[in-house]
Amino acid sequence: MSDFALTLSDVSGHDLGPLSFALVPGEIAGLVGPAGAGKTKLLRVVAGFLRPLTGAIRVWGLPVTHPAARRLVGYARDTAAFPPSLTVREVLMYYARLHYSMRRVRPPLGLMREALEIAGLAPSADLRVEALGQADLHRLNLAQAALGGRRVLLLDEMLSGLDAFARRDLRGRIAALAATGVAVLITSRDPAVLERLAARVLVLRDGRIVRAGPLATLLGERVLEVILDAPPPAPPPGFRLTAAGIETPLAGRTVEAALALCRTHRRPVRASRVRVKSLEEIVLETHDVH
Amino acid sequence: MIAAAIWYQSPPFISYRAGMRFLHCVHAEFLLVLPRLTRTRLGLSLLALGGTLVWLSVHGLDPLTAALQAGALGAIIGAAELVGRERDRAALATALTHPTTALGVATGRWLAVVLPLAPLTILCAAATGGGHTGAITAGLAAAAAVGGCALFVVLFFGNGGALALFLFMAVAGTVAPERLVDFARPGVMRLTAASALELGPALWHYRDIARGDVAAALHALAWAGLGVLFASATIARRGVHG
Repeated sequence: MSDFALTLSDVSGHDLGPLSFALVPGEIAGLVGPAGAGKTKLLRVVAGFLRPLTGAIRVWGLPVTHPAARRLVGYARDTAAFPPSLTVREVLMYYARLHYSMRRVRPPLGLMREALEIAGLAPSADLRVEALGQADLHRLNLAQAALGGRRVLLLDEMLSGLDAFARRDLRGRIAALAATGVAVLITSRDPAVLERLAARVLVLRDGRIVRAGPLATLLGERVLEVILDAPPPAPPPGFRLTAAGIETPLAGRTVEAALALCRTHRRPVRASRVRVKSLEEIVLETHDVH
Repeated sequence: MIAAAIWYQSPPFISYRAGMRFLHCVHAEFLLVLPRLTRTRLGLSLLALGGTLVWLSVHGLDPLTAALQAGALGAIIGAAELVGRERDRAALATALTHPTTALGVATGRWLAVVLPLAPLTILCAAATGGGHTGAITAGLAAAAAVGGCALFVVLFFGNGGALALFLFMAVAGTVAPERLVDFARPGVMRLTAASALELGPALWHYRDIARGDVAAALHALAWAGLGVLFASATIARRGVHG
């Protein structure tokens, strides 16, 4: 038995890697990057659908190809589809039957009800899949991924394309699963949607992790925004132009020192404020640097 | 809890439990046909097929051909309704994220295609006056063989493939290759069609099952098995590529 829910060691192949990281039980890690960065491919490798050329993937210490490991990994595809003529209850019952085990105490009916509960799908249980809205389709995708007591969830773009209310609801449900010890690796094209969910962020570009760290650390970077009366032809050293003026990261210097630099360059300051960098800015900067 | 789950779910070798697991997966797949019989066009299409064949046999269609057509054409309709739509095919990839196998999915879908045809073939054979065991067996063998082939064709080519197979079975399927060779002009097309009829799951083969021909029964069995294997390979490919 391993202390880690999921470990990747020097995994490469399929235009990925080498990649190494680990998830502890109950951790939510966000995998962000532009389209084509390799997020979905990485999840497919971790789910055992693609075999890496080198390296090892372990789920609770077992190789991911081991049947027992595969039973512990739930995977919600970005393009998940369900039999359209069946109801939500029938679809989940079908998956629950696939999880049947002779020694399992809980029958498929119990697994199906639990999955309905996890995803908040009870009110839509008797609706046909073809009649479901986008939010309920995402909930069904989460329900099928979590069904059967999976301990590692791979969620591909689970929060993308949803309105703020549905996103908040799903975020809460994913966080509730993580609170029970389920490790979650969730991808998103839009970093902003992970800001209130992921404890750790991995930035992927061209199949490689180019930046990683706890969200609190990444979001700890502060920026001084300076609003000027007139836009300058060129920003002072260390600053960059914005729509309303200039801005600079405050890494290693004080606000006073940065404002003094503006004055020495004869830039009349109308107003200034300090804000923390958004995850989107951090990801974009990381992308531009690499 | 995790340790217990791993211990329980890790048979160290292929065992009785592994076999039972496979059967459970097949059973879960088969059960998907039940809501579809009443909720989609599947049930009505099979009834319409049965009615048409009975009507045709009243107007001169031989009862054995009616039983064979009920099995073969019903299997194609079943495959088209079960996996013909793109969303149904895409859903197979989601199923593979659960503890099942592509072979289990294909076998279960094949059973879901074939088993509802048993009552249809029996009723069709009884209504057309050919209700002897031989005709029913031949009809079921045709359903099994064409069901396997149709499952693969529909998974690979979609409903367009189902339509082509349906027309081939309905029009040319009952014609023996020798007769085709006699009818058509020499050429590559004629040889290709004759070879398809000779090797493929064509109904003229399965007429002989009614007379107890073991070779014809083995031909049907081989096509059922090949169809399921090819279908499972197609499903596995979908699992990898989403």
